[in-house]
Formats: sequence, C-alpha cells, structure tokens
Amino acid sequence: MTKIFYMIRKEFLQIFRTREMVAILFIMPVIQMVVLGFAVTNEVKHITLIIADRDNSRLSREIVAAFSNTDRFDITGRETDVREIGLDIHRWKAQAALIIPNHFGRDFRRGLRPDIQMIVDGLDGNAAGVSVGYAGGILREWAEAQARQTPRLAMVKQNTPQLELIERLWYNLDLRSAQYMVPGIIVVLLTIISMLLSALSLVKEREVGTLEQLMVTPLSRFELLMGKLAPFLILAFIEFFVVLGAAQVIFPITMKGSYALLSLEAFLYLFTTIGLGVMISTIAKSQQQALFLSWFFMLFLLMMSGLFIPIANMPQFLQDLTLLNPMRYFMAIIRDVFQKGSGWQYLFTDTWRMTLLGTLIFAVSVLRFRKRVS
Amino acid sequence: MNEIAVQTQNLTRRFGKFTAVDRLTITVSRGEIFGFLGANGAGKTTAIRMLCGLLLPSEGEATVAGFDVYKSSEAIKKNIGYMSQRFSLYDDLTISENIDFFGGVYGLSPALIEERKEALIEQVGLGDFRKRLTRDLPLGFKQRLALGSAMLHDPPIIFLDEPTSGVDPRARREFWSIINELAAAGKTVFVTTHFMDEAEYCHRVSIMRAGKLIALDSPGKLKESYGRNNMQDVFVALVNDEDPRPEEQL
Ligand SMILES: Nc1ncnc2c1ncn2[C@@H]1O[C@H](COP(=O)(O)OP(=O)(O)OP(=O)(O)O)[C@@H](O)[C@H]1O
Ligand SMILES: [Mg+2]
Repeated sequence: MTKIFYMIRKEFLQIFRTREMVAILFIMPVIQMVVLGFAVTNEVKHITLIIADRDNSRLSREIVAAFSNTDRFDITGRETDVREIGLDIHRWKAQAALIIPNHFGRDFRRGLRPDIQMIVDGLDGNAAGVSVGYAGGILREWAEAQARQTPRLAMVKQNTPQLELIERLWYNLDLRSAQYMVPGIIVVLLTIISMLLSALSLVKEREVGTLEQLMVTPLSRFELLMGKLAPFLILAFIEFFVVLGAAQVIFPITMKGSYALLSLEAFLYLFTTIGLGVMISTIAKSQQQALFLSWFFMLFLLMMSGLFIPIANMPQFLQDLTLLNPMRYFMAIIRDVFQKGSGWQYLFTDTWRMTLLGTLIFAVSVLRFRKRVS
Repeated sequence: MNEIAVQTQNLTRRFGKFTAVDRLTITVSRGEIFGFLGANGAGKTTAIRMLCGLLLPSEGEATVAGFDVYKSSEAIKKNIGYMSQRFSLYDDLTISENIDFFGGVYGLSPALIEERKEALIEQVGLGDFRKRLTRDLPLGFKQRLALGSAMLHDPPIIFLDEPTSGVDPRARREFWSIINELAAAGKTVFVTTHFMDEAEYCHRVSIMRAGKLIALDSPGKLKESYGRNNMQDVFVALVNDEDPRPEEQL
C-alpha cells in the first residue's frame, strides 16, 4: 500500500510543478462559471408586454410612458381583462403584463401605496426573473422622481419605499434562473475537469514512455491506477467546493440542503467521470485523441443531462437514452439538494442508478486498462 | 537462482499478419552481457518487451529468472530492471524525486531508498544537481541515472533497450564500464544497440533480421567465421543478406 503513497506523491508533485495545471484546476473553472452563469441568466431585451392601465390618470400614463421608453420592453397590446391577458401569454403573444389598478394615481398621491401587478410567463425562467427585475427598476426610478417633485410625499413615507413590487410568476412558480442554472454549470465544469485531466495524465505517460516503465514495476494494476487517479479525485473534490463557494458569493443563490449529503453524491459521481477518463485513455493513442474523445463524451453527457433541454421535452427514445447518462442523475441530485434541500430519501433512486452506472463504467475501464503495452 | 537467466524457445510475436519476432530461440546464462543487434524494425524491442512481461507472445515459450512469461509476468517484474528505448524517468521531477519515486514503487524502505540514492548520485557524479529537474541534465547523465533507477531494487537481470543512443562517446564509455561492473557482480545484462564498437564489449551477440535470429556467438567467433576484422563488417554482411559461410555450415 505504501507504493500507492509514492504514486500519489509523485502525481501531486507533477501537478503542482506546472503552474498552468493549478490555473486549470482552480482559476479557470471559476472564470468559466462566472461567464457561463451570466451568459445563461442575463441580458434579456424586448420583452413583449401587455399594458392594462385601469386607472388612466396622469401618473399611470407616466408609468406606461416609462415602460415604452426602454428597449427592455416592447408594448404589444393594451388589455384590461385578466383572463384575456392570461390567454395572450398562453398564446405566446406576450411574455409579461403590467396591471395598474383603478384609482392608482389618487391612492399614490395620498400615500396609500397602491399595488401594481406584473404578470410574467415563467416558462423561460431566465427571462422571467430578469424582466421582473427590470420592471422593478423602472418603477422605482419613477417613484423616486415623483418623490423629488412632491417633497411632502417623501417626508410622510420616509423609510418605506413609495412603491414595492410583489412578484408572482405564472407557471413554473419559484423558478429563479441563477439558482437553477449555476449548480448545473458547476456539474459540467466538474465533469470536464475530472474526466479530461485523468484521461490526459494517463495518455501523457503513455506518450512519453514512462507508463511502460511503470508497467515493469511490481505495482499492481490497482495500485497503478489508484495512484494515478486518487490525486484527481481529491483535486476535483476540492475544486467542487471552491466553485460552489465562489458561485454563492457571485450569484444570488443559496444552498438549501446538506453539504455532507452533496459531498457524498459528488464523490459517487466523480467515480463515474474518472472511470470515463480511464476509458478514454484506453482508447486514445495520443493526447489530441484523448481531448477529442472527451469532447465527444462531454457533448453526449451535456445534451442528455437536462441542463439545457428538459428531459421531459425529449422524444421517448432519447428520454430512455438519458437513463445511461450519469450526468443526468447528478444534475437532478444537485438541483434537488441545492434548491429544495432534499434529504437522501428523495435522492435514493437517482443515487443508486448513478452509483450502479458509475461502478459499471469504472469496472469496465479498469479491466480495459492492462499492465501491458498494446 | 539457477545459472540460466533467460531462455526462449520459438518465441514468436505477430501484429496482425506481420511477424515482428519469428521463432526466437536463445539461452542467456547468469553474469552474461548479451548483445542484441539488428537493423531498425528487426524486432529487438518487441522481443525485450515479451521477456519483460509487457507483451504477450503469440507463440513459443520463454522463462526469465525461472518464471514463465505467460503465467508469472508479475514475478518476472520483481526480478528484472528495464530501461525502455524511450527516456524512462520523469522529466518534470528532480533527480532526487525520481529516485525516491522508483525506490518507493519497488517497495524499498525509506532508509534503503536514501542509502541507494546517495550511492547512485555519487556514482553518476550528480552531487550538486540532486534538486535539479531531470530534464535539465545532459543525456549521458540522464541515461546513467535511468540505469541506476531501474536497478534500485537490485534485480539479477537487467534489460537495456538502446541505452546509449544519442549519447556522446565518452559518456558511452562510462555507461559501458557500469555494465561491465554489473556483469562482474553476477548480473545478467541484456542490451540492444546500434553501435558496433559496443557489440565488441558483449560476451555474446545475437543478430536479428526481420524478426529472425540470423547469428549468435561471441564477437570473436563471429568475426572469425565470417572472415571480417570487426563487428561492423560482420553486421553489414549479415544484414545485407550476404552469407560468406561455406554451404555445409548453413
Ligand atoms: N504494437 C505494434 N503494432 C504493430 N506493429 C508493431 C507494434 N510494435 C512493433 N511493431 C512492428 O514490429 C516491428 C519490430 O519492431 P521493434 O520495435 O521490435 O523493432 P526494433 O528492432 O526495436 O527497431 P529499432 O531499432 O528501430 O528500435 C516493426 O516493423 C514495428 O513496426
Ligand atoms: Mg527498438
């Protein structure tokens, strides 16, 4: 067993000797997460909006003007009937509706803090969250301008905002985009790093010729592979928490579940990805081929994981195919733990399927790896 | 261990339809420096890999240190040292780290590793360089270091695949003086080379062509029976398929 210790130490020495490796392991994933995270969650323009101005006072017309003066929103219609608004959203004629109630202007001037309602189609969670944010900004700006014009009003309501937005998303009720997307992105990064690096490190030793040297040592196949892979398992694990931590600092997301549970699940998942790395290394003859193969595997894992395309929206045979995708399970698990704080009872099915798949992948890969040259 | 270090009987390896090693039959005894010559692609590396347990033979028998290559390749690995044709140390580790690593995976105790490391560094003359990255060493030093690392566990048999290619003449001499010392200490050295002056140092030389063994004897006898003054001429004659021997000898 001490032989494994020497293998692991050597691997760590090599990893930390190359400065790029440290960057690849810990800095790049954080940057990628930020870029991807904002790319999939932000910058929504030209949201189609229905205006329901039931007040039709000077103030309410000012608000409507504020909404039409921005390229965030395109006003596509005026409609006061809530049922019609719902149908329009359903028919994709509009993504959102702004409802200004009767007597809004009068109540506002009396400092009664009247409600304005914003209805948003939650189907595209990103756009929904962002458009509510924009609407809030526009209304707040308008309210502050009002307060400056009428100092009396500001004085009365010094500590409470004149205008408060109470969000209610229609369909997909509590879908917040970053909360939903960022854990998914973390899974993707974790997968790439652990699979690619373990594959590359094995293929590189074969390419350079040192693997042949290792194969004539009395190291058993198990010791050789464990010694090569344990460092990547450990590093991927640390990286997982670095990225997870950074994500919570950078994005408005909160982890609702248990870290211990998530760690265990991540550990089980990493067996799969590192097993895939070994598999790739037994197929690829060069580092380029290993890169290409990793990319190929990655595309399959990613497209079939439910991150971008909900699995329920896929044709049946593709849905069945996703059952072979380990990322699908971990994606579901991390979202459950992250968003709902689900306990292990609820993750049981996904967990055993993921573990079974991981064990299979790992076993096949290890058996394919021979202590002989081909 | 018995007096026979390596023995093969019709050892054959095919890659698809191509036969890289064709019915090789040799016996190498303990303490012998056994040279393996042959043009590029003759099958030397393939033969050595089979003997080291790295490659399964297609046919034939072979034992190394008394162990069968089919059944006991792991036992063979404990009894041999091997320097592959490509550089076999880690370029991005220091000299000291490389030795620690190989000593460790061969299962030596830390104290023994330390002791052998000092001896090796001393022998190669690398005292001041132990913290240097291996990639920064001149090739001659690298190869001597690689030889030492392959022998940390003190194996009775050592396989060297072109250990001196690309090495300058003086470093080659030093390398061969180590080989001679090893043989004198009872080690069996199995070495391939493209240098005919090195062939002269071997106790016996085998010459391969297209996977087949075409000559096997001491350098003196080979020169005598082919009527040439040096191994260079013997080799060229044999590899070019000239056969100067009288008919009945074939
Ligand atoms: N894994 C392999 N698959 C297919 N052919 C191979 C393989 N390994 C070696 N060969 C072929 O077997 C033949 C013998 O190769 P080998 O490496 O044993 O020659 P060699 O005598 O060591 O040559 P060199 O002096 O160039 O090192 C070559 O033609 C080579 O192309
Ligand atoms: Mg060769």
